[in-house]
Amino acid sequence: MISAQVVALASLAYFALLFGVAYYADRRREQGRSLISNSYIYSLSVAVYCTSWTYYGSVGRAATSGLDFLPVYLGPTLIAFTWWFLLRKMVRVSKEQNITSIADFLSSRYDRSALLGAIVTLFAILGIMPYIALQLKAVAHTFDILVYPTAQRGHSLHSLFPALPEMFDTAFIMALILGLFGVLFGARSLDASERHEGLVAAVALESLIKIIAFLAVGLFVTYGLFDGFGDIFRRFHAQFPDRDTLFRLGEGAISYPNWFTLTFISMMAVMFLPRQFHIMVIENADERHIKQSMWRFPAFIFLINLFVIPIALGGLLFTGGDASQADYFVINLPLASGHPWLALLVFIGGFSASAGMVMVSSVTLSTMTLNHLIMPLILKCKFPFGDYSGILLNIKRLGILLVVLLGYFYFRVIGESYALVNIGLISFMAATQFAPAMLGGLYWRRANHKAAIVGLSLGFLLWFYTLLIPSFVLSGWLESDILEKGLFGITLLRPLELFGLSGFDIWTHSLFWSMFFNLAAFLTLSFFTRQSESEALQASRFVDALGESHFISQRQRISRAPTVLEFVELMSKFIGEKQANASIAEYLAQNNQEINHRGSLSDDEIPKLKTFTERTLAGYVGAAPARIILENYLSTRGSRMEDVFDIFGSVTLSRTASREQLSVLYEASQIVASGNELQQSLDDILGLLAQQFKFDLCVIRFLDDQQMTLTVRSQQGMSSEHFGESERNLDMTTYIGSAFLSNKPVLVNDCDYLDKPTSAAIIRREGIKSFAHAPIVIEGQPVGVLSAFSRSSKGIFTDEFVALFNNIAGQVAIAWRNDQQLTGLLESREHERELEIAKTIQMGLLPANVPHVGAIDLAGLCVPAHQVGGDYYDFIGHSDQALDLIVADVSGHNIGSALIMAETRTFIQSQATTLTQPHQMLEALNHFFYNDLTRAELFVTMFYMQYLPENHQLRYASAGHNKPLLWRKSDNSTSWLDAEGLILGIKPQVTFEQVTTSLQPGDILVLYTDGVTEAENAGGEFFGEEQLEKLVRRCTGLSAEEIINAILQQIRTFSGHHHFKDDISLVVLKILEQQEDTAHISTANPQGEPL
Amino acid sequence: MKQPQGSSTREAWILCLILGIIMLNFPFIQIFNSGKFLLGVPVLVVYFFIGWPLSILVIYLFTCQLERDDQDDEDRGDS
Repeated sequence: MISAQVVALASLAYFALLFGVAYYADRRREQGRSLISNSYIYSLSVAVYCTSWTYYGSVGRAATSGLDFLPVYLGPTLIAFTWWFLLRKMVRVSKEQNITSIADFLSSRYDRSALLGAIVTLFAILGIMPYIALQLKAVAHTFDILVYPTAQRGHSLHSLFPALPEMFDTAFIMALILGLFGVLFGARSLDASERHEGLVAAVALESLIKIIAFLAVGLFVTYGLFDGFGDIFRRFHAQFPDRDTLFRLGEGAISYPNWFTLTFISMMAVMFLPRQFHIMVIENADERHIKQSMWRFPAFIFLINLFVIPIALGGLLFTGGDASQADYFVINLPLASGHPWLALLVFIGGFSASAGMVMVSSVTLSTMTLNHLIMPLILKCKFPFGDYSGILLNIKRLGILLVVLLGYFYFRVIGESYALVNIGLISFMAATQFAPAMLGGLYWRRANHKAAIVGLSLGFLLWFYTLLIPSFVLSGWLESDILEKGLFGITLLRPLELFGLSGFDIWTHSLFWSMFFNLAAFLTLSFFTRQSESEALQASRFVDALGESHFISQRQRISRAPTVLEFVELMSKFIGEKQANASIAEYLAQNNQEINHRGSLSDDEIPKLKTFTERTLAGYVGAAPARIILENYLSTRGSRMEDVFDIFGSVTLSRTASREQLSVLYEASQIVASGNELQQSLDDILGLLAQQFKFDLCVIRFLDDQQMTLTVRSQQGMSSEHFGESERNLDMTTYIGSAFLSNKPVLVNDCDYLDKPTSAAIIRREGIKSFAHAPIVIEGQPVGVLSAFSRSSKGIFTDEFVALFNNIAGQVAIAWRNDQQLTGLLESREHERELEIAKTIQMGLLPANVPHVGAIDLAGLCVPAHQVGGDYYDFIGHSDQALDLIVADVSGHNIGSALIMAETRTFIQSQATTLTQPHQMLEALNHFFYNDLTRAELFVTMFYMQYLPENHQLRYASAGHNKPLLWRKSDNSTSWLDAEGLILGIKPQVTFEQVTTSLQPGDILVLYTDGVTEAENAGGEFFGEEQLEKLVRRCTGLSAEEIINAILQQIRTFSGHHHFKDDISLVVLKILEQQEDTAHISTANPQGEPL
Repeated sequence: MKQPQGSSTREAWILCLILGIIMLNFPFIQIFNSGKFLLGVPVLVVYFFIGWPLSILVIYLFTCQLERDDQDDEDRGDS
């Protein structure tokens, strides 16, 4: 026995130490030098699993029923094998989603269901409250044992403070202090997803103290009171040979199914008890700490269990086999053997075990209660608080105290009648009910909220009915014959033999039925009910948490979206202004977002900001309340989350959009490539747009160059005088004008916000909800605008759609350009055909035959360089008297030249009979043509020659024309005929010299134009007169036509190509001997085709 | 290379978990459930209190392997 003062003082000193450590850890955290962020502290804090139930209860259980205290610790060792995958995933998800508790985790995973959060919270309270009571009981009881082993239970403190009211017993004081601790270190701020380093540091220290104390007493008993393990077992075997069954399984109290059940529920409990979840997941500073704690935590529980059996057996040996106080052997043994200081250490250790659990549980339960029971109520009732943040924090603090005190009242009401270990297992079984929803949520995409709600509810109902009620009844706290007769007297409903299932212990029976209903409902409903899209999205965030896969981004928009400032105001209400500003600023900076002129973000970004706001709020108030807050807020503003109109059909957007886009684009390009009329193509493209995307109106307008307006070229959908038919002026007052002028697409996703009054008036009148204009651009220049209007949906125009829309505008541009090019092509073909006609006519103007004048061989040829040319030659016979030979060259090779040539011919043909002298003809021509030629900026060279066969006389005049070549047979000489004369069209009055010479039979005369002598080769050299002369000399034996062909051939060989740059005309006259009277007449291919 | 390595480690973990569950349950522990004593201590108790630390040792060795994998990843990342 130790005096109450000493125990109280030691307890207070220990409290002070805990407060000090917690305070120090919090300070260190504020300074950014975390004390607890290492795997040792993490492993120790996870050991909050070992409560006073372990500390005292294990020994009690070992002494009474034997080895079945072990599964409770073997289970956690086994499940630790999965931590690197399971626990790490839980941690990862929770950090990403700002999870605050296990209720929040489940609620967040399952469609942020507020109902699910509330159910989990209720069951957690129901399941954990007895556990808290148990801890208080253990501390109070050991305090009493230490101070007054025989005194009235629970009131040993009154010996210290006689003034203390009767109702305040040790457990109450203890509850108050632990509650205070929770308030100070568990509710410093509202942000529940924030780690509580002070709390964790205190819990870790407590774990350290409890293992030291337990190892100390274990060593003391095993090696102090006895002589090692073997000695204890031998003595026990000797003294109680009938109790050897304590170390056997399957035969005594512990059946194999029971053994399995205990292992299983311990595996689940260490993961899913709310306080374990809190310490392992929420308070995890770094997921790498999990790695080391995977063996450190099992090692911890191994060590703390190492001496459980020796102490239990030692206790039994010490008490002569009396197991009634077995739960307190740990403290009784040192006391009874006269080591009160060791007993005090044990008390502090036990106190540590209790305190850690109570502190963490109260904080956890309070957070859950606030976020999942109180918040939804506050939000539902819409209390008119301006700022919730302060109130919420105080509610949370109150909640912690309340939880601990509730535990205390529970202890007062039924605590005394209960064995410690049973309460622990009841809690474990409750935590096990979370397992299907938790594991399914993490690894099974299809698991949905209906399944989780029903499964959990059924599980807890069965837990309540098959475990909690029987426990109450069996411990005598509840008077009922329900165990024998069943509910309403139905034997099938007996809680311990439900539906006739008998032969199992209470734990296995309860586990089987609760899991059966829980799992069956969970699996069945997940299979047969569908998830909403948002739930599926959230599910993938959980299931794929450790994977690399990218989530499908939520394609939603907000109508009447709040501004950024409004989001800040909303957050401020719940988390305080400073926090709200800081987090939004950080978000905007991180995402490189710029606030636009409306004080908001782009349509695509606003939903992301909403998600961020919701997630931040979730870190303070939980996922479900955060969702409700946002939804309420948006609905009161008249904003609405709208699914983005699924423009690409039923397939999900981002993953498959490109394929859908391609198919629409493909169709559009098919239309363009079909080669239909432009109007048809435009109509078809608009038809495709309207049909694929359910637009009410699609219009194509092209620029009218003259009017400078955009004129409708094609339209599909509703017709309206305001839309379809009307032209649009080119200015920035309309959206379409600005799309054209700025050469950029313009889109309005919500016609409630329009900043161009001209357009707004029309658009409102027509009931348009959203529209887009894309410029139709050719080689960087806009030529028109493609427009689409929707009366039914807002927010159609996503980035992807705009890209597609632009591409379609591009296709329209291609169709338009194709059409333009085609028109040009047709025009030039028409032109060519006209030229062909001109050519035919012009060729027809050349002489078709040679007049019968004397004995001559005459041939002529004209090869125009282009379709029409300016060369001209003619033969005019004056009955038998004379033959006029004319070669002329009009400058240029175009229609103008051809016309002048025709005019020249007409003039000569008409005047040839009256103007009988060559010089007269040239003078008349010059006079006649002077004005025409000057006006047309053309001139004509001409050689006019007259042959009189009678006397073989030749008279000629030249208007600046190339000198013809004359070869005389008599002396095989050549000469160039020349006569003075100016080019026609230079001066109005010109006198032309006329020269007369005579010809002899066999003489050859070659008349030509400059195309012959000036034919160029690749080196830029001219064919030249010299070469012509030599050629003619070689060809004297040939006929006139053959000579022409020879010359043409030579020129072609010389210039190296088929086509001449200049028109070529040749006339060859060969005087025949008299006996060859019949003239060789040929016109040497007047068409000028290459020979 | 990372993927096969990661998944094989995961498989090894799950294998160990299943082995552990088997070795701690009926009928496996029936082998030791004989009522015999080893150095005065019941064989079943000896089994548990030797098997248990051994399984912790296995976890420890696994975490060492994890540590090495991470190290390799970092090295690869650096190079």
